[in-house]
Amino acid sequence: MAVVHRRVPFRGLVAFSLTELRVQLHESTAIVTSLIIQVVLLLFVFILDRSLLPVALFGAILFSMFALGQRVQNEAAFVRIDHKLNELYLAGPLTPEAYFLGMSLGVLGGYLVPILVLVGATVYLVGISLVTAVVLLAAATGVWLFACSFGYFVSTLFRDMRTIWPYASIFYNLFGVLPPVFYPLSYWSGPLIPIALVMPPSAAAALVQSTIGWATLSPWELALAAGSLALEGLGTFAFAVYWARRTVREDA
Amino acid sequence: MTTEALLAREVRKTYKSRGAPNVDALSGVSLVVHPGERVALLGRNGAGKTTFLKIASTLLAPTAGTVEVFGHDAGARPDEVRPMIAVVPQEGKPFFHLTPREQVSTYLRARGYDRAEAKSRTEDALGQMGLLEVAGRLSITLSGGQRQRTMVATVIATEAPLLFLDEPTIGMDPFARRAVWESLRTLTRRGSTILLTTHYLDEAEALSQRLYIIERGRVLVDGTAATLKQEVGGSLRVSIPGGERLTESVRSFGSVMTDGDVLHVITTPERLTELMGIAVREHLTATVGPVTLEEAFLRVVGRSIDTEE
Repeated sequence: MAVVHRRVPFRGLVAFSLTELRVQLHESTAIVTSLIIQVVLLLFVFILDRSLLPVALFGAILFSMFALGQRVQNEAAFVRIDHKLNELYLAGPLTPEAYFLGMSLGVLGGYLVPILVLVGATVYLVGISLVTAVVLLAAATGVWLFACSFGYFVSTLFRDMRTIWPYASIFYNLFGVLPPVFYPLSYWSGPLIPIALVMPPSAAAALVQSTIGWATLSPWELALAAGSLALEGLGTFAFAVYWARRTVREDA
Repeated sequence: MTTEALLAREVRKTYKSRGAPNVDALSGVSLVVHPGERVALLGRNGAGKTTFLKIASTLLAPTAGTVEVFGHDAGARPDEVRPMIAVVPQEGKPFFHLTPREQVSTYLRARGYDRAEAKSRTEDALGQMGLLEVAGRLSITLSGGQRQRTMVATVIATEAPLLFLDEPTIGMDPFARRAVWESLRTLTRRGSTILLTTHYLDEAEALSQRLYIIERGRVLVDGTAATLKQEVGGSLRVSIPGGERLTESVRSFGSVMTDGDVLHVITTPERLTELMGIAVREHLTATVGPVTLEEAFLRVVGRSIDTEE
């Protein structure tokens, strides 16, 4: 058989994204409960200081995008460890990068409705200008790229599900809740602000907060937040594509 | 460049792990699968069957050796090999939150089939696997056997040129196993090639046109089930539980093997009565049956296929 199949990057992406979307949409309970942390924190903020609600609402949207990384991580690990479906899909024409990105897009699609609910609530309660909308979309994209890429990478490092769970919640809750995502950047300790500006969720929140007047960023800080978010988002995505190709065949 | 469906030369795999001794899973496996053949890798658990299948299907790097699939080097150019293969992984499960129909059709779509073709192939494969009645139920509600049939349906629907099936009928009832066997025979008649692993002797005998017996990472023998059985040296097997003490006295009747405390004597119909008489005189029970692949395996490997390492 002399057929030579040329490698087409991201071959099978759309079909596998739709497969994963179907899988996610069957898990309606998980989709609904994905908002628990966000709603609880919004309630906290509302009770303590309702003037901070605009910041918290935007933070909830960005946190939701960040938390998708945990879902990609768990899904990729479950599919590989428990179902061995990576072997089914990757020993075939579907490219590894399409497998990784398709899974990420499917998870995004599945959890889009609760995120849009938060966006709707923000529009209704706070209002979103065009500039804010553009910044929010760009920042959310950066956070999502970082989170799903990192989540996929981490999923490949474990051999059983029980080990992966604690790491997932530590990372996503620590870096998504502790830094100034649900509250203003100005509440964060001054010397630690550069740290907040390089962590993807809080960098994204700082950019959005600056457009709605809740954070005053110097040009340098603005560049740091935007630059690090872009670099981390695109950098981890490129790495995840490389890693997906690299790990399709075990060397162990 | 060869036109063999699969050609493996001296494939070795050593698993290394910190703080533990290296494990040689494969120690120089060479084998060939001709286009359109059904070939079985038969061996005990841990013999190296799955490791070989993973290497051949581009999912595991060998420590040494080469595997070619239709002339393409699976190690150096896996991207050229992958579109030509499909794999049923060992203990694989379909997406729990997809129905069998969704599982098969979405997989075909991901392989590049258009919607109409995917739909038609899906219904055909589900029908062959007897899954049409449950095709609309989420896989999480199905039995283990039905899930396994879904996995097999997913892969046979591709009709890929080379199919790898790792223990494809594990957990299935006898009727489902026969349905799988028949589907695989149909596939090879249509031009696909199949390499499967199994530790079911009846499956290897009923399904494979040739088989390789693997033990501790080495191919010990290959041939058809018939030739392997012929080499056992007789047509009848007399099994005498607790008959080890008779080993020397029955040696003249044919080949003698022990499996635990059971003495197996391979003999001919002409000498059967005399042999049974010896067992009866010693107050031992003896059962008689035709020689099967089990005796061939026992002769080649030196222990039963069900014996754990």
